[in-house]
Amino acid sequence: MRQQLIQALVALLLIAAILLGVEFGVREGYLKAYEFPPASRIAQGFVELTTVGFPTGVTIWTHTFVTVMRILKGYVAAIVIAVPLGLLIGAVPVLDKMTAPLIVFFRSVATLSLLPLAIVWFGAGELTKVILIGYGCFWVMLSNVIAGVKYVDPALIRAARSFRVSGWTLYREVVLPAALPRMFAGARVALGVGFMVIVGAEMIGTIQGLGALIMEARSFYRSEITVIGMLVIGVLGFLISSGLAAFERLLLPWGGGSSEASR
Amino acid sequence: MSRTGPERASSAAGAAPMIDIRHVRKQFDVRGGGEALVLDDINLSIAANQFLSIVGRSGCGKTTLLNIIAGLDAASGGEVLIAGRRVVGPGQGQGMVFQQHALFPWLTALENVVFGARSLPLAKAEKIDRARELLQLVGLEASAGKYPREMSGGMQQRIAIARALALDPDILLMDEPFGALDELTRIEMQQELLRIWEARRKTVVFITHSIGEALTLSDRVILLAPHPGRVARDIAIDLPRPRSRTDRRFNEFYEQIWSGLSS
Amino acid sequence: MRSGSRMGDAMWGLAGILIVLAAWELATRLGAIDPTIFPGPIAAIRSAAQRLPASVFLDNMAWSLFRVVGGFILGAVAGTVIGFAAGWYRGFGYFARPLIELLRPIPPLAWIPLAIIWFGLGEPSKFFIVFLGAFFPIVTSAYHGITHVDPSLIRASRSFGLKGLGMLFHVGIPASAPDLATGLRIGWGLSFGVLVAAELIAANRGLGFMIMNERTSGGSVSVIIVGILLIGLLNLVTDAALAAFIRRWIGRWHGG
Ligand SMILES: Nc1ncnc2c1ncn2[C@@H]1O[C@H](COP(=O)(O)OP(=O)(O)O)[C@@H](O)[C@H]1O
Ligand SMILES: [Mg+2]
Repeated sequence: MRQQLIQALVALLLIAAILLGVEFGVREGYLKAYEFPPASRIAQGFVELTTVGFPTGVTIWTHTFVTVMRILKGYVAAIVIAVPLGLLIGAVPVLDKMTAPLIVFFRSVATLSLLPLAIVWFGAGELTKVILIGYGCFWVMLSNVIAGVKYVDPALIRAARSFRVSGWTLYREVVLPAALPRMFAGARVALGVGFMVIVGAEMIGTIQGLGALIMEARSFYRSEITVIGMLVIGVLGFLISSGLAAFERLLLPWGGGSSEASR
Repeated sequence: MSRTGPERASSAAGAAPMIDIRHVRKQFDVRGGGEALVLDDINLSIAANQFLSIVGRSGCGKTTLLNIIAGLDAASGGEVLIAGRRVVGPGQGQGMVFQQHALFPWLTALENVVFGARSLPLAKAEKIDRARELLQLVGLEASAGKYPREMSGGMQQRIAIARALALDPDILLMDEPFGALDELTRIEMQQELLRIWEARRKTVVFITHSIGEALTLSDRVILLAPHPGRVARDIAIDLPRPRSRTDRRFNEFYEQIWSGLSS
Repeated sequence: MRSGSRMGDAMWGLAGILIVLAAWELATRLGAIDPTIFPGPIAAIRSAAQRLPASVFLDNMAWSLFRVVGGFILGAVAGTVIGFAAGWYRGFGYFARPLIELLRPIPPLAWIPLAIIWFGLGEPSKFFIVFLGAFFPIVTSAYHGITHVDPSLIRASRSFGLKGLGMLFHVGIPASAPDLATGLRIGWGLSFGVLVAAELIAANRGLGFMIMNERTSGGSVSVIIVGILLIGLLNLVTDAALAAFIRRWIGRWHGG
């Protein structure tokens, strides 16, 4: 308790000191405002972003909404495909052996390296962005679903078999619940991947979305807007992953959570 | 069941045995080719309602033998009969308590016990009634709604026993069930088990590392010798219950088993 | 559910790869997909080789590798030192933790504009982005490792008279090695992905640049496809090398 208090106090003082330091440094001419936007400018920029928008007419809320929708579309599509497929592959050893090296390879392909190809195939519009997010989330989710199913504690399977539970019932009532924590962990990591991909994907060929905002702002020498965009992305990512963790605790009250996922 | 043969020699009672293990052999494929003989020509007849313990060094094949009796693993040779019927799988009257309790972490205590009754042709409500009764038998009716991780090791093992009893098995197979418990809890659990055994009249095959535990509980102690696993001694313990560890004959048996194990 | 020999597994895996390659090749031959925008594997490699000499591929690959290794090493060293220090010295932790927690949710790619503002369009800005990709997972795992050392190990070593730096180097750091190893693997994967993205967005050499340039200059899809496959293979091989290194380092006592 006392330690938390000290920690909070130090954190507040530290951040205040950094903000004041930059503010002061810029006023006195030690720092360039363009390189280190001071808090006062950031605050002004935020007001501008919420009212006028940047570029004019596109407010921060629009940018955020556009980004969130893109992530959601790709993410949900990836999970909807990856979960049943992973459940199948994890349950059929031959399928698992045949797909294992392929999955490792597809996961190793840096998602954004697909951008040029995706533009050739789907154009530079919405679809390309959603597909890239979907690709990144899909492989992470798929490998975690497979691992979840495959590495169920054999002792639990034996226990179930000793009660003459086998086949489909065994899969539904033992394998599936035992795999859930790993699947949730995968969903969490996949969301992180989605956030990472969207920022890169939005830096090319669009003016809407947080990735576009921070990149556009730089070319207009509005670095304070870039910083706001970064902060909004950070807060958004933090909120969504906390929300997912809370959802997981709600769904898995037996405390299966906090399982390690692999990327 | 009027077969005659050398395997009847070790039959404890004159009546048809509850469990009849005949010439059971088990070998495993070894990594990189070859086979390892783990059990060699095991013959045992276990009378109904007998409490039999198996002691032996780690790795001598105790778990393997128990799994074969449980119908979870197939023998490489020989056969196991339960009440005259050849064992082809679980659910022929065997109930199993595992070394690491193997409770399903996503089910509450009550739900775990209900799971044990899964393959019974009963209505859900009847299964729940039966599970409550069993929780009462092991003294945990108050913890029905708790998840395994919210319970102590002793409580978890009691739930595992209740779960094993849910199919109303004739035979209780227990694989070092109290091995992970502290000495005091262990002694309590031994008394508890004897009480349940007397209340429900089961045939018990109990594996343990502890000579004292085997002597406190059993009518009969089997010493399994390693490499390959085979019956080295078969000792009838004709001491009245409750047994005292300071009793002279208790200690004579102790010496006898100890010398059998260390030779 | 896990059985069979390693050889058998490899054969099945190979079969899976061959099936996918054959399906891809067949789909283009039978006209199920348009070979001008999605050439088959054989055609893609042949026409990529015709269009660009191998030295161009190798050159770009070398640049990418140089950046990712350089940035990763910087990030790994900084992440390890800061993570251990923040977990071991409470006072330092008070200062380091809030900054790390505050910055961690910002994806490394979101730093690209600031990286350009601070470091220009040259190499330092790529190093910086890769550095961030490696730094956050590694600092987090180093911190987690050192703050979760089994207390009985600490007490045991104290009873042998170990304290201060001796305790840190002989107990704290070895005990956190498995956590750190996990962080290194994640950090490597992230560094790699981030680098390719950074090269796509702002660079004039490297594999990411090569494929993006091919697209914007209206070049050949074949080069893009071969480039993507190269990126995947490079990541795969280097990650396997890192995993082998980690196994040699801690595999004997930590297993797996
Ligand atoms: N599935 C298996 N594959 C190969 N060897 C096994 C397998 N299960 C058990 N063994 C081997 O059989 C021997 C007996 O094992 P086990 O029955 O578990 O011994 P115990 O329970 O007496 O400690 C051990 O040497 C073990 O390594
Ligand atoms: Mg055993």
